[in-house]
Amino acid sequence: MTPMIEAKNVHKYFGKDHILKGINLTVQRGEVVVIIGPSGSGKSTFIRTLNRLEAHSEGTITIDDIELKDGANLDAIRKEVGMVFQSFNLFPHLSVLENITLAPTKVKGLSKGAAEKLAMDLLTRVGIPGHANKRPAELSGGQQQRVAIARALAMQPKVMLFDEPTSSLDPEMVNEVLSVMKELALSGMTMVVVTHEMGFAREVADRVVFFDHGQILEQGPADDFFSNPKEERTRVFLGQVIRH
Amino acid sequence: MSLKKIFPLLGAGALLFAFFLGIGPILNLLPEPISPNANLLRDGAIATVKLTAISGFLGFFIGLALALLHRADYRILRLFSNAVVSAVRGTPLLVQILFCYFALPVLLPFMTLNEFSAAAFALALNTGAYNSEVFRAGLNSVHKGQLEASRSLGLGRIQSFVFVLFPQALRFSLPPLMNNLISLLKDSSLASSIGMLELALAGSRISSESFKPVPVLTTVAVLYFALTSIMTLCAHWYERTQK
Repeated sequence: MTPMIEAKNVHKYFGKDHILKGINLTVQRGEVVVIIGPSGSGKSTFIRTLNRLEAHSEGTITIDDIELKDGANLDAIRKEVGMVFQSFNLFPHLSVLENITLAPTKVKGLSKGAAEKLAMDLLTRVGIPGHANKRPAELSGGQQQRVAIARALAMQPKVMLFDEPTSSLDPEMVNEVLSVMKELALSGMTMVVVTHEMGFAREVADRVVFFDHGQILEQGPADDFFSNPKEERTRVFLGQVIRH
Repeated sequence: MSLKKIFPLLGAGALLFAFFLGIGPILNLLPEPISPNANLLRDGAIATVKLTAISGFLGFFIGLALALLHRADYRILRLFSNAVVSAVRGTPLLVQILFCYFALPVLLPFMTLNEFSAAAFALALNTGAYNSEVFRAGLNSVHKGQLEASRSLGLGRIQSFVFVLFPQALRFSLPPLMNNLISLLKDSSLASSIGMLELALAGSRISSESFKPVPVLTTVAVLYFALTSIMTLCAHWYERTQK
């Protein structure tokens, strides 16, 4: 079977800044890949190129055998790739239920009833069925992020991208989001996760990828990576983030 | 749409209806020179409201279109939008109204407009230019993550605008749009310069025929004040439904 995501020699420039310097990354179907690295290393930029929120400057990205470029391909890929953001980005003028049903009804043409049933199932899955008719602002950060995950899942994506999903959460809310992500990983979803949660990476990731200065410095199976990092730079980074 | 949201609209309609129902009998109770001219003043007030409603309605869409052109991918469209807004904001409204009535038919023979249409056209363009700045600010105040979330869910550019960006931008924009509409109602008095019979021109005629400027112009001012107060009241109602 072909891989779900194949990024070949991906470069990205912002003006003169060379942010991504030739990223090669393949993600198999059902694989959970966690990307870690210091801030400014390009990990968020890279995950954003995977559904073209940032257009890559050079190289090719193929998702589910479709090459990522502007035009009809892009719509096809965006329907298959779900994304969860650091700042949730729920639609504040819509109820929780409407947040989830918007895309299935407008993009896929699902009936309102079917979309609402789907939404309620997903809200139950992420553990907050009681908040369907509230506005996002009435929920806690952890609950909002779980709605955002449900909203992305409502499009029945083949890949889920998580861009630092717990970084703007209060500490006591991190686990409720991570456990939803863990359940999703166990269900066989292909996931790419940018995070600073090393516990999650160690427990859930099939593979850990370490970004530094716009390049992949080191990658490997989670156990290997954490117990036996090869590069000095990785050891220093892990020492800094795991110490506390 | 919930009842709470349309309440300001219903309220505005009811108040305006009451205003026009009440204005005739009330003016009839007043002494000379108001009561003999009550109908003229009422018709003037109706014309003012009509002119404001039509140019305000058109100005809403002109403003939105100019704001969208300002965000267009093509530089020429952005330049066009900037040019219209600068031209309108940089010239007096009185000149714009005179231009639309007297000069436009010379330049473009098919644009020969009667008094009402010329005034409505100039006022719509004028308020549209100011509205475009309001919409621009409103659209800019929507967080950029909103569009990213919408696009990454597979919604197209137009869908994202209609369902995600615009409703949020409109919420930010409504109070200043309401201000522009109130200004428009007052500015519509400049239509008297091309002989369009509205409230100000009605007042000015009665005043010069009766040689009694104090009661006549006071009445006219009070009628304008009543109309703007109705609009201010509705704006307050709307803002309260937002809490």
